[in-house]
Amino acid sequence: MSAQTPAWPSPGSPALDVLDRRTPPPEFVDAHAHLGPYSLFFIPDHGAADLVRVMDRCGVARTLLSSHLAIQCDAAAGNDATAAAVAAFPDRLAGYLVVNPWQDPVAELSRWAGDPRFAGIKLHPSLHEYRLTGPRYRPVWEYAAERRCPVLTHTTSGLPYDDPAMVGEVAGRYPEVTILAGHSGLFRAGFDDAIEVARRHPNVVLELCGSFMHGDEISRMVGEVGSGQVVFGSDVPFIDLRMSLGRVIFARLSEADRRAVLGGTMRRVLATAPRAA
Amino acid sequence: MPPPLLVDADATLGRNPRADVGDGGVTALLERMDRVGVAAALVGHSWSRLHDPATGNALVSRLVAGRPRLAACWTLLPPGTGETGGPEEFARSAREHRVRAVRAYPADHGYELAGPDAAPMFAALAEAGLPLLLDAPQAGWPEVEALARRHPSLPVVVGRAGYRVLRRVAGVLERTGNVYVGTADLSSHRGLEWLAERFGPGRLVFGTGMPERDPAESVTRLLWSELPDEAVAAIGTGTLATLTDLDGLT
Repeated sequence: MSAQTPAWPSPGSPALDVLDRRTPPPEFVDAHAHLGPYSLFFIPDHGAADLVRVMDRCGVARTLLSSHLAIQCDAAAGNDATAAAVAAFPDRLAGYLVVNPWQDPVAELSRWAGDPRFAGIKLHPSLHEYRLTGPRYRPVWEYAAERRCPVLTHTTSGLPYDDPAMVGEVAGRYPEVTILAGHSGLFRAGFDDAIEVARRHPNVVLELCGSFMHGDEISRMVGEVGSGQVVFGSDVPFIDLRMSLGRVIFARLSEADRRAVLGGTMRRVLATAPRAA
Repeated sequence: MPPPLLVDADATLGRNPRADVGDGGVTALLERMDRVGVAAALVGHSWSRLHDPATGNALVSRLVAGRPRLAACWTLLPPGTGETGGPEEFARSAREHRVRAVRAYPADHGYELAGPDAAPMFAALAEAGLPLLLDAPQAGWPEVEALARRHPSLPVVVGRAGYRVLRRVAGVLERTGNVYVGTADLSSHRGLEWLAERFGPGRLVFGTGMPERDPAESVTRLLWSELPDEAVAAIGTGTLATLTDLDGLT
């Protein structure tokens, strides 16, 4: 090993905890998670208590989540479910308020305004078949700008609803709103687009969950935009929490960048905003 | 208890035309293995899937020669066109080259997994004690079940199942005894634990899908699972050791 090559895993790296099967100290923050059953496929464990138990196993201190019911079918009833889960584990979970553009966004925002159980807003334009830049989302951006709460949006490169370029468009319109680009474009070719959007807009943060993400891409994203614009998310319980976490833990990052991606950056995003909603 | 030995049943050498995975060389693969603690791997070659199986098979055998942590995994084709030889010839040659498992890509290579064309090859594999490795997108689960029923002594390991398949997988595992699930991209949250608790760790085979997939996924998922040490060890190596000869690898 050359003098320039740092030892791997470096001392203190959570990779050592993985390789020894040790439970690490609780310090990670998961910026993208869900809750509850989903009609399209079977999820063995999708409840809040199950999630907190697995968080305990692998060092996740806090998870921000939205219920599947809210994103898939009924935003109002689903936001109730999210709020109940957060109430059951207030020190471990925080909610994203799902706003469905077809289900009275203003009423839903008003219903939860000031509720400390919600820390941000979640949009899923491709699931709701409505473009991120459309006027039905205007109340969301105005609300988020006023209250300084982050907005997590799903992104899918190449779709007419939430391509990364659309994130850039709304980020330019609302520079005071922190927008988390969920999945960073989702597909490999989309990662380049998401990186470019984040480079142009300091209020865009790349979020890392997705079936095509890879530690090599995470290293590249941090190299391109800095760890201050990259956050870990798991997409649990769609995707196993440990799969998403492992990519960051073993990625070629400095330990300082790894800590930022695994929690520091998201803590900073949340600290600049009073509880959202 | 020391960390379990991990033998990866799903690794690939060679260039990838749709993702930047580097040069696909042996050195890079070994570096990836070292980074995540994988001790040994059964490796195919991208040429076997995306160019010409016979050429790729010969190439991967050359590349792993003298590499004690790597063993070749060949790819078969139906015998009718003679591209990878007749069934007995293919199986005998695979054994002579210390091949430990064989892959099939029926969707990519244009034949039916459970149809009559490739059936003699699968019978020869079963006779030779070589397991079949499949990627889930290459065939439907009913086809996998039909193949397993037709060749009950052929282990069929299906990897890269994704996160939307447990309703299908559960039935196939219940109705067969020779279908196994590979852990590369087996991504349902707590799906690994659910399958191990319901069907036993003996139906699960460790694989990473590297370099296309990040091997850290499968490693972290298994080592930070909620399974007991014995089950982790079985999935990491033990199940595969019951399906093929790992002598000299571990």
